[in-house]
Amino acid sequence: MKKKYALFPGCLMPTEQYAYELSIRETIPLLGVELVDVEGFSCCGEPMKSVNQLLTLYLSARNLAIAEKHHLDVFAPCAMCHLALTECQHILEENSAMKGRINSTLAAEGLQYTVKRQVVHTVDLLYDQVGIEKIKEHVKKPLNGLRIAAHYGCHILRPSEIGRPDDSENPQKIETILKALGVEPVGYPQKLDCCGAPLLANLPESALTKTGQKLQAIQEQGIQAMVDVCPWCHKMFDSRQTKAGETVAAKLDVPVLYLTQLLGIAMGITGEKLGLELNLSPVEKLQLGDVK
Amino acid sequence: MSIIDLTSMGEPQTDLKKELNDRLTKLQDEISDYCFQCAKCTSGCEAHKLLELEPHKIVALLKRGLINELVNSDVIWTCMTCLKCRERCPQRVAPVEILFALKNIAVASGKQIPGKYTGMLQSILSMGLIQDIQQTTTRTNKTLKRDELGLPPLSKPIDVAKFQAGIMKIAMEKV
Repeated sequence: MKKKYALFPGCLMPTEQYAYELSIRETIPLLGVELVDVEGFSCCGEPMKSVNQLLTLYLSARNLAIAEKHHLDVFAPCAMCHLALTECQHILEENSAMKGRINSTLAAEGLQYTVKRQVVHTVDLLYDQVGIEKIKEHVKKPLNGLRIAAHYGCHILRPSEIGRPDDSENPQKIETILKALGVEPVGYPQKLDCCGAPLLANLPESALTKTGQKLQAIQEQGIQAMVDVCPWCHKMFDSRQTKAGETVAAKLDVPVLYLTQLLGIAMGITGEKLGLELNLSPVEKLQLGDVK
Repeated sequence: MSIIDLTSMGEPQTDLKKELNDRLTKLQDEISDYCFQCAKCTSGCEAHKLLELEPHKIVALLKRGLINELVNSDVIWTCMTCLKCRERCPQRVAPVEILFALKNIAVASGKQIPGKYTGMLQSILSMGLIQDIQQTTTRTNKTLKRDELGLPPLSKPIDVAKFQAGIMKIAMEKV
């Protein structure tokens, strides 16, 4: 049976990180997964956790209830959204009093959270649902010889006790996907370091320093590029790379791509359709097909 | 209705503050007791390397009941929520959760919310997302918006009044 998911876009991807959304919409359906656009979603709530955790829980439950109304499982390509939705399920499944309280408020919008539906992220959707063999079948232009670092993003790895898309200390799924595309994945000591984005709201300079430090380490190790799978991480590593370089007094020029962009290139899709002109890091250095 | 209602010391907030204090008392009584100060949390802390956050000390201060001092300190706002402390704690103490509770109490007691959190919250209340559609720039300096890239309309709450009412209810009602 063809797999079908509600695409839960969140905030950052559909309002500025368009390359992620474009590349997801180009690649995932070709791999036999139907993506359904659903009206009425809101923020997942995760960015508000420091302000009011109950608000986070309510917003997540509301979004899950909308998916439930359409009898759909959820694909959340953002690591923050994926954590908020998964954690919400975990809390509501264990705390029936809280579930009752949330549901009594959701009722005003004609919504209810009752069943725990599947919530996937890009990494486990590709690795566990689509599968490496199927990805290999769709590779038309193997990216042989490229040496690339994977950045997972904290929120898809931890906390493992609620179930995350990959191992918290030694994740390998992105590397395995990269190998299927012909890429040589490169391990590096800073692999689990944070991108800094969660501090963007109140300590932007420090946030960019984290970004700069990680990119600098990658550059010094002679790794050709980095792939990421979260619009927040990408905003830091790609969109703000020049600024991040200023905070560590380095001229950074590390090409940064979404995993789905690289996947699309290997599948023979044009750079334009994958939004590669929107990457602000020097992706043209990789000389991938039509990318200028 | 405004963000003031959600975050100020206004009357309806009493219940929220009580709930938050109960949550912290629970963390203090039941969870921080397990901490034996191995500092594994601090050794892996992303904010420690850069901003000198020391999660094991946060737990120790909480255990000693120094809640006001913690709530009024800027250091609680340096956590990057990388979740490594929660993952690696051998005693399942989860300093990151203690920090979230402390920040929530700081907000509920009317302390100024730092940085862009207020703006994001206002945006969620008015249209459901932390920001509306932004213009983006290509490497060749063309400016583009969502619709010009052929992407479908943004998914956001349809009845904003009802959406807001839900948020206000959940954030302020009695437990």
